[in-house]
Amino acid sequence: MGSGTGLTGVESKLPGAPNRPLTYGETNRDILRVLLKPSAMYFAALATTVTMMLIGGWAWFQQIFWGMGVAGITHPTMWGVYIVDFVFWVGIGHAGTLISAILFLVRSRWRTGVYRASEAMTVFAVMTALLFPVLHLGRCWQAYWFFPYPNQRLLWLNFKSPLAWDVFAISTYFCVSCVFFYVGLIPDIASFRDHSKGLVKKFYSLLALGWHGTSRQWQHYMGAYGFFAALAAPLVLSVHTVVSWDFAMAPTGGWHSTIFPPYFVAGAIFSGCAMVISLLMPMTYLFKWEKYVNLWHFESLAKMCLLTSGILTYAYGMEYFIAWYSQNPYEQAIFFWRATGEYSGAFWLMVFCNCVAPLPWYSKKIRTNPMALFIIAALINVGMWMERFNIIVSSLAHNFDPATWWFYMPTWVEISITIGSAGWFGTWFLLFCKTFPAVAVTEIKEMVPPPLKGSLEAK
Amino acid sequence: MSPAAAAAHSVRIKAVYNHFDAFLTGVDRLKRAGFTGFEVTAPLPRHELLEAIYEGRPSPVRWWTLVGGVTGMTSGLLLTSLTHASWPMINPGGKPTVAIVPFAVIMFECTILFGALATFAGMIVHAGLPGFFLDKALKDPRFTDASFGIVFTRASERDQDRIMELLNGSGATEVTSGDDTVYEVPNDTL
Repeated sequence: MGSGTGLTGVESKLPGAPNRPLTYGETNRDILRVLLKPSAMYFAALATTVTMMLIGGWAWFQQIFWGMGVAGITHPTMWGVYIVDFVFWVGIGHAGTLISAILFLVRSRWRTGVYRASEAMTVFAVMTALLFPVLHLGRCWQAYWFFPYPNQRLLWLNFKSPLAWDVFAISTYFCVSCVFFYVGLIPDIASFRDHSKGLVKKFYSLLALGWHGTSRQWQHYMGAYGFFAALAAPLVLSVHTVVSWDFAMAPTGGWHSTIFPPYFVAGAIFSGCAMVISLLMPMTYLFKWEKYVNLWHFESLAKMCLLTSGILTYAYGMEYFIAWYSQNPYEQAIFFWRATGEYSGAFWLMVFCNCVAPLPWYSKKIRTNPMALFIIAALINVGMWMERFNIIVSSLAHNFDPATWWFYMPTWVEISITIGSAGWFGTWFLLFCKTFPAVAVTEIKEMVPPPLKGSLEAK
Repeated sequence: MSPAAAAAHSVRIKAVYNHFDAFLTGVDRLKRAGFTGFEVTAPLPRHELLEAIYEGRPSPVRWWTLVGGVTGMTSGLLLTSLTHASWPMINPGGKPTVAIVPFAVIMFECTILFGALATFAGMIVHAGLPGFFLDKALKDPRFTDASFGIVFTRASERDQDRIMELLNGSGATEVTSGDDTVYEVPNDTL
């Protein structure tokens, strides 16, 4: 490896970094070191996520073998935990592209340390979300019916349906996120390639596409990267808007509301940022990234959560206000029932986790305490899952006709598949962290002062 | 002179810089001396470097984005409209057969998707990727680590001394020519 000769006497621009200048070579070495032999703790984490995944796989097999009866969804609650999980994971996938695209366009400095891991989280969260429409189908081998292509079945997508919009929105989001993610990785993979050997070198060589950092490559890379960010930014906002229309377009009590798109987008950013904190805190400890990902980043994420928590609290309040102000008895009944009926536990847990639990973060002391950050972020994740459960299940279980009211609770199959989805997500994320740079080497280098001969001569 | 004859009288020259200001000085001196046809490499995209080489000219990748986006939007409109025109029984809620408002969602998604894919294709084409067949002097592993480089892959032999003098004078850490330009770092990491 080339030596890091960039000692300039200039303080590093990375807040929280050691009180001495970082160098390009040092940055490379620190982040490359993560790819060395995994520790026992890493294997323990991987074994846990794989076990969770196997539990979910076994439950899915049961569902395929015995049929959809093993899941708790039945009339009138035809959308249950699978759709809750779908919306939850799509929401988790929001923070990555928000951090990598929107914060890139506004030149936010704190994104640098966390954006690669957040992007990876986006891709894996959307991969997880995409499992659920297939799981929900029951006959998962007919999932290809989702896609519009000429066929002899006299079936065609109804493009006026929000469900068709959702297929396009999520597929587009997944494709664009993957391309954006891969493009950002190319220079870093090239860096890894140049410090590896044998089969590993061949693997990275292929993925690096012959990148060698020539001016021609950088010129068009930077040109393209800006456009990816510009294209991804409206996409981030549109995806959860379209997901919210899955509900808001239906004339169902508690769903049919124009506040849903901003409410869902804020909720998605809220849960995504909380998940970034929940994932990156242990990873930073496990992989010793403290120089590059530190409290400054987590505090910034906590501030994002505070902002979006405020928006959500406003949205929750506004739903109740509109139900009262509209004088619509069905709307009033569903909102009253949510807070006082069989699912009131989920409702109040949602209110506590999303509106109350983040409030201590207004204190800088708590916002910069790692344990407090981790616990509150975990509570937010629970609260956001409960929010989706509350919206989806309660409205269906307590619809217009009292004769159809039903108390839905997920069965062991649905709970196991939910656990399995977390395992699937975690396994991908852990494998990624040991295979690719989960901290963006090139962008960290951009924050390091360049090595200057002038200052050395002055010394 | 045929290309083969020109190659016979050309030489590869590589300068490695550990300092960014020295590297920019080297690029500047070469340009002032009228030399072109050199390639520079860097481990990160410093705007000073791109400014020095491209003098503010934007990448043509933006045209790929535009064409991709327009193609996507048109495709979205055609896919939705022609589908519903062919299957008019799909007409929920009394909407017209070709209903622009609901179709706008699909058109938007197609605009973004095609725009992003076209941007990626444009980057690949203009950046010369895959770059597996770049000159071996450009494949110096130090250039993706911590060093900057200026490489003449085919400098005229009669300019060799002058170029090497300029590069050495600008503060290059190492200037080599001919086959000496190939450098292998020890594989000490993976």
